[in-house]
Amino acid sequence: MPPSTQLDNERIATSTPESEAGVLVVRRHHLLVRCSHWLNVPILLGLILSGVSIYWASPIYQHKPDPQTGSLDPLADIGIWICAHVPGLHQYSNPPDWVYNHISLGPGMLAVALRLHWLCAYLFMLNGLVFVIGSAMGGGWRSLLPRQTDLRDATRMFWYYIGVPVAKLTRGSWPHPRFNTKYNPLQRVAYFSVPVAGLLSVLTGWAIHKPMQFHWLTAIVGGYDKARIWHFWLMWVFVLFVVPHVILVLADGWDTLRSMIVGWSTKAQRSEDFSQ
Amino acid sequence: MSLENEHSAPEADNTSSTESVHPPKPASFFQERPPQVMEAAPQLLRRWTRRDLLLFGAGAVAAVAAGGALLPQTTLKRLGIIHDNKNWQRKEWLLNKSLRIDDDVAEALYSRNRLVPTYTKSQITPLRNNYNGATPNASYIPEWRLTLDGLASGLSVSLNIRNLLASFQVHEQITRLVCVEGWSAIAWWAGLRFDDLLRAYPPMSQARWVRIESSVNLGPWGNPDPYFVSLDLSTARHSQTLLATHLNGKPLTLEHGAPLRLVAPVKLGLKNIKAITRISYKGGEPPDYWAKHGYSRYDGI
Repeated sequence: MPPSTQLDNERIATSTPESEAGVLVVRRHHLLVRCSHWLNVPILLGLILSGVSIYWASPIYQHKPDPQTGSLDPLADIGIWICAHVPGLHQYSNPPDWVYNHISLGPGMLAVALRLHWLCAYLFMLNGLVFVIGSAMGGGWRSLLPRQTDLRDATRMFWYYIGVPVAKLTRGSWPHPRFNTKYNPLQRVAYFSVPVAGLLSVLTGWAIHKPMQFHWLTAIVGGYDKARIWHFWLMWVFVLFVVPHVILVLADGWDTLRSMIVGWSTKAQRSEDFSQ
Repeated sequence: MSLENEHSAPEADNTSSTESVHPPKPASFFQERPPQVMEAAPQLLRRWTRRDLLLFGAGAVAAVAAGGALLPQTTLKRLGIIHDNKNWQRKEWLLNKSLRIDDDVAEALYSRNRLVPTYTKSQITPLRNNYNGATPNASYIPEWRLTLDGLASGLSVSLNIRNLLASFQVHEQITRLVCVEGWSAIAWWAGLRFDDLLRAYPPMSQARWVRIESSVNLGPWGNPDPYFVSLDLSTARHSQTLLATHLNGKPLTLEHGAPLRLVAPVKLGLKNIKAITRISYKGGEPPDYWAKHGYSRYDGI
């Protein structure tokens, strides 16, 4: 039985507790949304590791060969710089490969990287479908839609975050702006953008993968070479999302993290001031 | 703060009931719904939490195990996770399967009637010779002949470049060549259509595949390393699949596969074999140089 219906049935069975007082909980995430959320972790990791290995075979950003190192690739330059400046890495055997050795399957792994990339890409598309179905069944998609008040409210959230360190230092009071919605506007922008970025990654991926059979798609995203550039930077959207996402979830506390595992939260207060 | 007043609605007291009894009717289909609040006994919540955390942990362990099984051994060795080669073949099963699925998808997407985009001469870009082996010695050129095998006639046919250019119409096209590595080049090709050769010398009736061999047969140190590709007959019959003799208005150079090379823009560059010496029609799928190195065998793009 899916936990959501179970939650209903067991609530009825236990809604008149004799021994312990009941706790108010609020439904947060549909089971399928939770599954797709966590499956994204290994799938995106596989896509990024293999994707950077594919990038290595023909970097989209190249400069004229460096007279000293012969390098064409800015990522190789970064590796050379790191090995020259970071203590303990001066003896690194192949500095141009340092970046690829640390954020990809490694250099010279194109054949296996392509296979892993296809495997993860098909799983990523299936997982996107799981997310869409879960959002539709749980109705959670409505909480992600942008609204007219978002610009003003996002500005308020932005100033709140800017002020937090100051308030901590001065021990002043700096209340979190209150919103009677599931997510605050900054969260909403982020959680709306990430599925859109996922969709764009899939579209640009197909534009690169099948530039002849899907030549209309390749043309829409600006041609074959542009599609590779979009696809590369969309990867960074995920990376740049994940870092603050993890930090903020951990800062928000156990209830928020747990809600993505169990589906419910004990922060039910919002319902009291939910207004239209 | 004023924020408090702004958002605390003067609403009826609904905290006493476990769920809002009369949820306000949403103004539109897209409007966010009020949260579903319910009451649950603490020991029940603890039980759910325990169960779901155990499931989550099992999933995390499974994901780590899958990662260990799927990541290449050189990567795992570099990370210090393994020290010796493990059973390579078994670990490759899922990756090989996904490659086959992707090839099946590519084959399903392919249509003989769908033409690839063509470009103008001003869009032509430099085409590099990406072959890392030795370019063959030019001495084969005067003696060069193209051999056709697996024909309906049961005979073997041998043609020289003059036969080919005299008996077939020359077609020109400016198309993009896409390399598996990710780079691409727009080049101006001229040559005969593979389809015309197939009409002039029809293959045996059970033929579904073509094996193409090449004079390009030396590795980086001059060691024997013959290049050969497999090609499905459906791709060979595509009207933009050429047996090219000219690049950018000039006869093919040695580097680009003189005197005759395959140009199949619906395939990755690695199928576009240079310096063709033999074309054999086959019933079953013939081996392919890069498929043996772990790449796709279909390579449809």
